[in-house]
Amino acid sequence: MTPIISVTDLRKEFKVFRHHRGALGAFRNLVTREYKVVKAVDGIAFAIEPGELVGYLGPNGAGKSTTIKMLTGILVPTSGEICVSGRVPWRERRAHVARIGAVFGQRNTLWWDLPVVESLDLLRHIYRVPAERYTRNLATFRQLLALDEFLHTPVRSLSLGQLMRANLAAALLHDPDVLFLDEPTIGLDIVAKERIRQFIQRINRERGMTVILTTHDLSDVEKLCERVMMIDRGHLLFDGKLADLLRRFGGERELVVDFADEVLDAAVEGAQIVERDGPRVTYRFARDAISASELISRLSARYRLVDLSVREPEIEATVRRIYEERLLDNDGG
Amino acid sequence: MILGHTMRLYFKLIGIRVRAQMQYRLSFWVDLAGTGLATGVEFLTLAAVFGRFGSIGGWSLGEVAFLYGLVETAFATMDMIFSGFDPDFFSQQVRRGTFDQMLLRPVSLPLQIFASEFLLRRIGRMAQGLAVWGFSLTLTHIAWTPAKLLYLPVVTVSTVAFFGGLFVAGAALCFYTVQSIEAVNIFTYGGTYMLSYPMHIYDEWFRRFFIYIVPSALLVYYPALFFLDKPDPLGLPSFAPFLAPLAGFGTLLAAFALWWVGVRRYTSTGT
Ligand SMILES: Nc1ncnc2c1ncn2[C@@H]1O[C@H](COP(=O)(O)OP(=O)(O)O)[C@@H](O)[C@H]1O
Ligand SMILES: [Mg+2]
Repeated sequence: MTPIISVTDLRKEFKVFRHHRGALGAFRNLVTREYKVVKAVDGIAFAIEPGELVGYLGPNGAGKSTTIKMLTGILVPTSGEICVSGRVPWRERRAHVARIGAVFGQRNTLWWDLPVVESLDLLRHIYRVPAERYTRNLATFRQLLALDEFLHTPVRSLSLGQLMRANLAAALLHDPDVLFLDEPTIGLDIVAKERIRQFIQRINRERGMTVILTTHDLSDVEKLCERVMMIDRGHLLFDGKLADLLRRFGGERELVVDFADEVLDAAVEGAQIVERDGPRVTYRFARDAISASELISRLSARYRLVDLSVREPEIEATVRRIYEERLLDNDGG
Repeated sequence: MILGHTMRLYFKLIGIRVRAQMQYRLSFWVDLAGTGLATGVEFLTLAAVFGRFGSIGGWSLGEVAFLYGLVETAFATMDMIFSGFDPDFFSQQVRRGTFDQMLLRPVSLPLQIFASEFLLRRIGRMAQGLAVWGFSLTLTHIAWTPAKLLYLPVVTVSTVAFFGGLFVAGAALCFYTVQSIEAVNIFTYGGTYMLSYPMHIYDEWFRRFFIYIVPSALLVYYPALFFLDKPDPLGLPSFAPFLAPLAGFGTLLAAFALWWVGVRRYTSTGT
């Protein structure tokens, strides 16, 4: 199969100008134009096959949105190449955007003053979706995204979760080849997140839609994506299966246990005690040394447990660790 | 076919804007009456000045009203059609990320911006302009010829295009800095005021500036000389009154060229 998206040595640099305050400052701004160069995307390459659901993972400021903006044609790269369905996004803007869908978290494409259903109808005209296909798609999305509860509500009165659902439907009415989602779950509660994740999964499986999803939330990727690309400071640190990423760089998880009574000898092989606070003990353990369930069963065999919780490593910490240890340099990612 | 689709889309989209404005019906009518009244008061002030001096620089009240009415009508029409390019409005669109959303739609960008706002209430000012202009006709007794009748709409449309050019150029500056928008406003709004006075009472350098740099003298003043059968005090070639379309549409085209430069800058800087 030929890739539907291919990216070679993609770079984006921003000039960030120094701003001086005050009247004199305004004058200096005009005259001096001091700036520093931010390398938001710094030499990225990948290829995506039709039908893949890829997670683009990285901490805040990693360069995710900048990448998506270049893929969708909003931004022109400083250098490098992008080809989506045989087109260079910014060179053939209109042909390109007619064949993609895009949703930016906490952003809205619909008309504030119109009810959702009228907004969608306008998009039908904008994308020239044949009436029959529009009816079919709308019926599907009404059901999958439960749009009916707010279909006639003006867009301005929607909750953030509803807004994202409406925007997802809006991005898909014209049956795009690729769907770009930039932090689609940001700011949502767990129920709303879950609903959106399930929807993304279904349109990927049932319609074979290619999806790229950026997130700084590891759980989005865990639930949805087999393939994950991890980016930080403009560099692609990892491109492969999520399971491999976690196995290799997943860092150590933590188990917080509340014992019924204070215990003196709480040591378990394979786990390290990092904190003791009365009957509460925090263990840290590596994925390949011991599993969470093994650790828990060993402890509960010896003591009475009141409560426990497993803490996944923070994605920021994981990414920093990969970055700092330059693990990428050793095995080529 | 494609043009038909585009126009239908345009009317659909401005229909939404107008309906949204009508939701606040009272505010709409107050605004409409307000802008109309403001223009009326401005004109009455002007008339009072004439009451005192009889004429300004050899121009009678009726003749000045002719200029004034034409400029007001053209500006109000432009302000309505080019609402989306109004630098104040457009800069907000850019700052709020709405422009990004426009880049994501398979529709021409200027069309989307024209369709993004349509201030129907400018009709108030338009009506006022037309009223002043109609009033001028009762005072001046223009000797109408077929050429004059044909040329009048051309001059009006060219003036609309010229003012539109100022808005579009201002919108182009939104891609650069926010402060510059104020400079443009002084230019545009100050411009209507200036155009409505007879040109030759200004200083020599100022006149040259308006003839050669901002070709607005060519848009209203020279055509007015033609309509009112007045001699050209500046002695420009006799075709000068007929350069209005060139000046108007030339300005608009140049402004759009500048605007596209701004778009290109935006898509490379993201701000
Ligand atoms: N338009 C811009 N102008 C200047 N710097 C920018 C611009 N957009 C993003 N950046 C910078 O580029 C880096 C990457 O940003 P972004 O792609 O938004 O990251 P992410 O989406 O992963 O949080 C950040 O340092 C950010 O400040
Ligand atoms: Mg982002």
